[in-house]
Amino acid sequence: MKWLLRFFERARPHFREGGRLRGLRPLFDAVENFFLSSSLRTETAPHVRDPLDVKRFMFAVVVALLPCVVAALHFFGLRVLVMILVSYAVGGTAEVLFAIVRKEEINEGFLVTGLLFPLILPPALPLWMVGVGVAFGVIVGKELFGGTGRNLFNPALVGRCFLAIGYPVAMSSNWIGPGSGFIGRLTEYVDASHLDAITSATPLVAAKQGTFADVSDLFWGNVSGSVGETSAFAVLLGGVFLILTRVANWRTVLGTIGSFALLGGVLHHVAPDTFGPAGWHLLAGGLLFGAFFMVTDPVTSPITNGGKWAYAVIIGAATVLIRNLTGYVEGVMFAILLGNIAAPVLDEVAIRFRLRRLRNER
Amino acid sequence: MVPVNARKSGQQTTVRFLNPKGGYSVLLEGRPSRTIEQLPGPEVLYLPLVSRRFTFSEVLVKEGEQVAAGQVLARDPDRFSLPLLAPQSGSVRLKAAENHIVLENLAASPQRVHVADERPSHAPRESLSVGEKREKLLALGAWQFLCDAHTGELPDPSGTPRAVLVSTVALDPFLARGDVQLRERLTDFARGLEHLQSLLEYQPIYLVMPEVQSALASEVREMSRGHAWVQRVEIPLRYGMDSLSVLARRLGLMRDPQQPVWALRTEGVFAIDNVLTFSLPCTERIVSVGGPAVESPVHVRAVPGYPLKAILERRVTEEYVRVINGGVLSGEAVGSDQLGLDAECSGLTVVPDHVERELLAFVRPGWNRRSYSKCYMSSLRKPFVERLTTALRGERRACISCNACEEVCPARIMPHLIHKYLYQGALDLAERARVDLCVECGLCSFVCPSKIELRQQFVDAKEQIRREAEEAASEGGEAV
Repeated sequence: MKWLLRFFERARPHFREGGRLRGLRPLFDAVENFFLSSSLRTETAPHVRDPLDVKRFMFAVVVALLPCVVAALHFFGLRVLVMILVSYAVGGTAEVLFAIVRKEEINEGFLVTGLLFPLILPPALPLWMVGVGVAFGVIVGKELFGGTGRNLFNPALVGRCFLAIGYPVAMSSNWIGPGSGFIGRLTEYVDASHLDAITSATPLVAAKQGTFADVSDLFWGNVSGSVGETSAFAVLLGGVFLILTRVANWRTVLGTIGSFALLGGVLHHVAPDTFGPAGWHLLAGGLLFGAFFMVTDPVTSPITNGGKWAYAVIIGAATVLIRNLTGYVEGVMFAILLGNIAAPVLDEVAIRFRLRRLRNER
Repeated sequence: MVPVNARKSGQQTTVRFLNPKGGYSVLLEGRPSRTIEQLPGPEVLYLPLVSRRFTFSEVLVKEGEQVAAGQVLARDPDRFSLPLLAPQSGSVRLKAAENHIVLENLAASPQRVHVADERPSHAPRESLSVGEKREKLLALGAWQFLCDAHTGELPDPSGTPRAVLVSTVALDPFLARGDVQLRERLTDFARGLEHLQSLLEYQPIYLVMPEVQSALASEVREMSRGHAWVQRVEIPLRYGMDSLSVLARRLGLMRDPQQPVWALRTEGVFAIDNVLTFSLPCTERIVSVGGPAVESPVHVRAVPGYPLKAILERRVTEEYVRVINGGVLSGEAVGSDQLGLDAECSGLTVVPDHVERELLAFVRPGWNRRSYSKCYMSSLRKPFVERLTTALRGERRACISCNACEEVCPARIMPHLIHKYLYQGALDLAERARVDLCVECGLCSFVCPSKIELRQQFVDAKEQIRREAEEAASEGGEAV
C-alpha cells in the first residue's frame, strides 16, 4: 500500500494549482479517495468522527443490489454485465466531465445510479440506449440540480422515464424469456437478435389480458421483465439488508408496500374479475424493487418521518391506480417520480408542524 | 410542560424520562479510571487570564508582587467581578507569558480540606444572610461553578432562580465523572446541598443522577430521601441527555430571563461546601486526563495554572497529538499559547493527531469500526471501545438527508434543516428553526456521513444572532 501512497503523493502536485493537469483535479481526487481513505482531519469539535461516510453509505446499496445482479445474470445472461459496464462508463464520464467543468468533487451517488439504472431496463435494450438513458439521468436528473444531495428526482428513474417516452417501442418490447435450470442463461449472451429468446409479454402485460403468471415464478424471478426486478426473492434479500443497515428507512418501505397492498386489496375485493389479487401484484413488476431501492433514496424522499409516511402512501396508491385504471401496465416509475415531486411539499408541511411546536419552546 | 412519569417514593418525587429521544454514547478508548491522583507540587503556575466563559481583564497585582494563597489576582469586570484567586503563595510575573499571570517561587500547597478530620455531618448554622453567603461564594471562587442552565452564563449572585439543577452526570467520554468525585465524599455532597438550599427561599432543587443500579447510586438515592426539598431526576446514561439545558427543558423549566434556572455539577456542590463550611477558597479542581493518546488515563487533583506540560509529559508519549480543553465532542483544542490549566477546565483530552490511510476502506467489512449507523459488521458485535484519531473519516459532501443528525440530537431540533437555511444564508429562518436551542453537544457533526461541520455552523450562527441583537439594542438605545 505504501507504493500506492507514494504514487499519489508524487502525482498530486501535477493536479494542484500550478500543475499541468490541474483541470483534472476532481478526477484525481476521486481516484485517490477511491483507493485510499480520506487524509482529512477534523478542525473543530467534535474532534473525532463516526466512520460512516457517503461512499460507504452508497456502497451499502451496491452490496444490497448484488443479489438482484446475480439473479439477472442467471435469468437473462451475460449481457447484463455489459449493460452495467456501459451504464458505469457513460454515466461515469458524464459525471466526471461535469465535475471538471464545475471544478467540484465527483459524487459517490453515481456508484448507485450506475448500477440501479441497467437493472430497471428491458434486458435486450440496445446498448446505445442504455448509454443515452444513463447520461440523461445523470446530467438532467442530478447534475443540473447541483449533484448528489441536491437532486429532486431519482436520477435512474429520470433516465428510464426519458427512454420510456423517447423510445416507447424499444422499452416495451425488448424482453427476454428467463433462463431455466441450474445454470439458466449464465453462460449465454442474449440480445435482440436472438429471436427465440425474445418475448413480448411480461407478467403484467399478460395480466391485462387475463393471464396471471404463477406466484412462485414471480417470487423466484422465473419470468420476463426488467433486468433486476423479476426476482422478488433477490429484491427482498437486498432490501432486508438495506433496512437492517438503516440505509433504507423502514417507514417508506412499509408505507409503500402497505398502501399498495391495501388499495390493491380493496380494488380486488370490489371487482375481482377486473383487478388482480394484491398479493400477486405485489410480486409482479417493479413494485418491490422500487419500494426497497428507489423510494428509499434519502435524497429524493422527505426527511421528516411524517413526510415519509405520506410520501410512501402516495407512491403505493399511485402505483395501484396507474397499473389498474390506466393504459399503462406498470406504474412504479411514474408513481415514484410523482412522489419525488411531492416530497419537498410534504417535508414543508411536516416541518411547519414541527416548527410550530418548537416555537413555543423556550 | 409536566415532567414525564413522576413517581412518589415516600415524601419525595422521582422524575424519570420515558422514551428519551436523541443522544448517543460514543465509546472511545482512553476513559479515565476511577482513581484520583494528587499531582506533585508545581514549581511554577501559569494562570490563563481567559477561559471559556471568563476574561479576567482587570489585573490587581503587580510585577514581582508577593501574593498569598487565596489572594485575588484579577477580576472579570463583565461577570460580577468574579475573582481569579492565587492557588498558592508566590511571586507574580506578568510579562513572562502572554495572557497569563505566572506565579513563581511557590510556597508548599496549603492543607486541603478533603483530608481534614473534622467534618460535620450537616451544614453548620451560620449567622450570614443569603446575600452575604452568595457574596462569600463569589469572593472565594465557588460562584464560578454555577451557570444559567439555558445560556451557560454566570448567574447574577443577587438574582432569584426559579429552580436549581444539580447534575451528578457527566457523559462526555473524557470529562471528570460524577461517580469518581462522589465516591467517599457523599457526606460533603449532602452538606453542600444543604448549603445550597440555604441560599434559596422555596425554589426546588433537582438532583440529577443516572438511571443505574449500583452501590453508589443506592447511596445517593438514600441520601436524597433524607432531604425532602430535593427532587431526584433519573436520566438514561446516553451522551447529550446530561446537558443542563436539555434537562431544564425536559423538566418543564423553560427559558425565562426574569426567572433563570441555575445549574451546577458535582464539583460545584463541593465548592459551596468548601466555602460555607470551611471558609476556604476554591483553588483546586478534579480534572480528567484521558483520551486515546493517554497511556494511563486518570483523574488528577490540580490547581488552576498547573503547567499542562507537567501533566501530560509522562502520560503522553506519542509525537503527534491534539490536546483538547474539555471533552472530545465539545472541547476546544489547546493552542500552543496556553501553558497552564485554566480556571474552568474539568478535563484534558488527548487524541492522536494523524490519519492512517487504508486501502479500499469503504469496501472493508468494518469489524473494528464502531458506528452509529449499522453499515459495518461491527453492528453484530457487542458495544466495544474504539481507538480514534482526529481523522475526518471521509470527504465533505452535500447533505444527503439521512436524518441521522436529527435522530441523535438531544435538543430535538432539526440540524439538517438549520444547516440548509444557513447554507442559503437565511439566518432569520435558522433562528426560527430554533438554532438557539442547540446545546453544542457535537453529536450531529459526529454522526454526519457528509462530514458537515454542523456544530460549528450553529455556534457561529448563534454568535451572529447574538451580535445582531446587541447591535439592534444599542441602535435602539441611541435612537431613544
